[in-house]
Amino acid sequence: MVDLKKISVFVFLAALFLMLLVGNASARVSIFNGTITEGDGYQINNYVIDVSSVFVEANTAVFKVYEGGELKKDTMIERNDSIAFDFEEGEMELRLLSVYGGVLPVAKVFITVSDYNIGNIYTSGIVDGGHEHATYSGTPVLEITKTVDKNNILVGDSIKVTIAAVNTGNDEAKDVIFTNPMQESFILEDIFVEPASTTSIDIGELKTIYVYILKATEAGTFTLKPTTATFSNNADQNFPPATSNTPKVTVEVLEIPKKTAVIEISTDVDSVSVARNDQITATVHLKNAGDAPASFVWIEIAVPEEFEYISGDDAIEIIGGVPKIYMDSFGPLQEKEFSYTLKAKTLGTYTLISKLSYEYNNDVDFENQKVSTESVTNDIYVQKGKYDDLYEQPVYIFVLPIVAIAVIGAWIYHRYKQYRF
Amino acid sequence: MLNILIVGNGQCGNRILDAVNKQAFAGKNKFSKFYSQQKFKGRVETIAVNTAKNDLKELKYTKAKDRIHIPHLHGVGANRNVGKQVFLDNKDIIMRYIEEKGNFDVAFVITSASGGTGSSFTPMLIKELKERYDFPVYAIVVLPFREEGTLYLQNAAFSLRDIRESGSDGIILSDNQFLKQLGGNVQSAYDGINDMIAERILFLMDALDSEMMMVTDLGDFKTVMSGGAGIATIGFYKSSKDVPVKTAIQKSLSPAGLLFSTDVYEEASRAMVIIKGDKSYLSIDDISNEVEKLSGAIGHVFKGIIIRNGVYPQVLAVLTLESTSELEKLYSIAVEAIHQERDKKTRVETEKEIEKAFSQINGLEPQY
Repeated sequence: MVDLKKISVFVFLAALFLMLLVGNASARVSIFNGTITEGDGYQINNYVIDVSSVFVEANTAVFKVYEGGELKKDTMIERNDSIAFDFEEGEMELRLLSVYGGVLPVAKVFITVSDYNIGNIYTSGIVDGGHEHATYSGTPVLEITKTVDKNNILVGDSIKVTIAAVNTGNDEAKDVIFTNPMQESFILEDIFVEPASTTSIDIGELKTIYVYILKATEAGTFTLKPTTATFSNNADQNFPPATSNTPKVTVEVLEIPKKTAVIEISTDVDSVSVARNDQITATVHLKNAGDAPASFVWIEIAVPEEFEYISGDDAIEIIGGVPKIYMDSFGPLQEKEFSYTLKAKTLGTYTLISKLSYEYNNDVDFENQKVSTESVTNDIYVQKGKYDDLYEQPVYIFVLPIVAIAVIGAWIYHRYKQYRF
Repeated sequence: MLNILIVGNGQCGNRILDAVNKQAFAGKNKFSKFYSQQKFKGRVETIAVNTAKNDLKELKYTKAKDRIHIPHLHGVGANRNVGKQVFLDNKDIIMRYIEEKGNFDVAFVITSASGGTGSSFTPMLIKELKERYDFPVYAIVVLPFREEGTLYLQNAAFSLRDIRESGSDGIILSDNQFLKQLGGNVQSAYDGINDMIAERILFLMDALDSEMMMVTDLGDFKTVMSGGAGIATIGFYKSSKDVPVKTAIQKSLSPAGLLFSTDVYEEASRAMVIIKGDKSYLSIDDISNEVEKLSGAIGHVFKGIIIRNGVYPQVLAVLTLESTSELEKLYSIAVEAIHQERDKKTRVETEKEIEKAFSQINGLEPQY
């Protein structure tokens, strides 16, 4: 059984070899084998071989070789003689095969080329009237300039980008296709001018290709990506893409002063020394010393377990057993006070803590800034109450007087009943 | 120890009885009943009887259980006839109550002679007591102010006679007319009189039941009270400083010291003089001289001396009277009062003829 895979590889290599062989510059390749009337020419690329004169009787003819209209060679050869001359990177040979008489004499020639890639021949044929009537192909040269109206901008600012192309070559640029890649760190705000999918630029023509607006979104120094263009000449020769310059744009961040909400909180009490079972009144003072309004303002009053919350301003709500104050907003320079009353239950030294949290927007950042702080009172000393000494006495100290009072009361009641009619 | 029954009839009797109970407390103030006990010398039972419940309610020092209200009544309106009928209708209640109090050696019935309930109840109560028991019953009778009104005066006249005829073992008179010299407003004057009478009664009960240096007892008291016309008065003097006992005796016998004004040297029949005080103040010679002076004028005088350390001289004199000019004056005024009342009643009946004048417009209507 034949191995198909091996056969396929072989066929591929053979084809490749043939292709290389065909394109081999060292081989002589026939270009033209025919007759040319006196006064006409034969053009191969930019070379025109004019048959200037034919002398039938002498079996000779005079040939003039022009390159781009410029005479390169002028010679007379006889039948079966040939001339050779440089043709671009290769060599061209012209052999006079015969001459004929008629209305106009004719020369039969055989034109070959060697050391030349036949694929580079883009045109060949008889030119009536000779070189003066030949059409020569040129090289369009596109110079693309990319300019910006400002090289130093701030984040959020816009620049106008103008892209223009000028054809400084000697042939029209045809089938010009521009490629202008997107630019990171910028957003395309507007487009005033943009090219058609393909265009052409005449020799010397300056054409505005793009005009658009880019808006900087972040700071940095950015090199704008080059604009490229592919094009061909009138002879449909393609040329390497033209590339624009790459201007630099420096984008800086404008230091906008940020606004802040600074709520100053302090808590004081009407007395730092309180007797057990007596009450103290604490006052929370708030002032927004910043220049931005605060929002979502929460104040949580941390009441020690040794105190009992008795009452407070209407704004103070008991949420989950914790006195809290909430305000939607608290404007700049606004001041407020909240008072509440606590009852001291246990001897000791304590402080009252007011926990404050709020948010504000600094007018620069999108996200709100969050702030948490707290204020702590001076030490509060809970001392013995007026009657605490009594509470510390043994039970019988109370029981005995109570019993005595009860007995006396009962006795008085007994007597009262005894004497009440 | 003597068993003594004290009955207060009517508003006046109730109040004097309450004053006795008050003074029996140690503190002698309005709160004393709450912190002290009554200290009678013997066993003393006090009973307040009244037809007016409000009068009984006003009592402060007499136990509620010792107050007898004759049900469905609000006083008898100073009408002794009504009072007598009420007593007859309710005497079983009263007597059963007294019966439940036990046996007694002596009884005092305190009353006003001029009111309705007391003046009508007292003679009948004494009569009932005398019929049922053999202990002596003495009436302590308060005579009215002479200007208190004709009804009170005539009540006093008839009541005093009825008490005397009830079988009472003696009547001790107290005269508001005389005692109004105490002055002050009406309430304080009445309170003063009541306290004065109560103080004397307590002194007497103390004296009858105490061991004395010179003895007087219930028997002596009976003898004194049985003398004269059955009418007696009590003289008393309590010095607040060191005064000679002779002076104290003289003051107790002076009109200012007597419950009923009289000249004891002229009108007394028998007497009992009881002297109390620290022996340092009690001069036997002075006592003897004064007692002899009195006995020289009226006859027999019982005397008793109670030694109380640190006490200034106090003298109580019980005197029965043979005659009493003041009582005669009272009765002459009372007779006038009776006549006035009778004339008044006649006038009222005459004025009923006014109704005849009104009858002339019967069936007519005013025309405008």
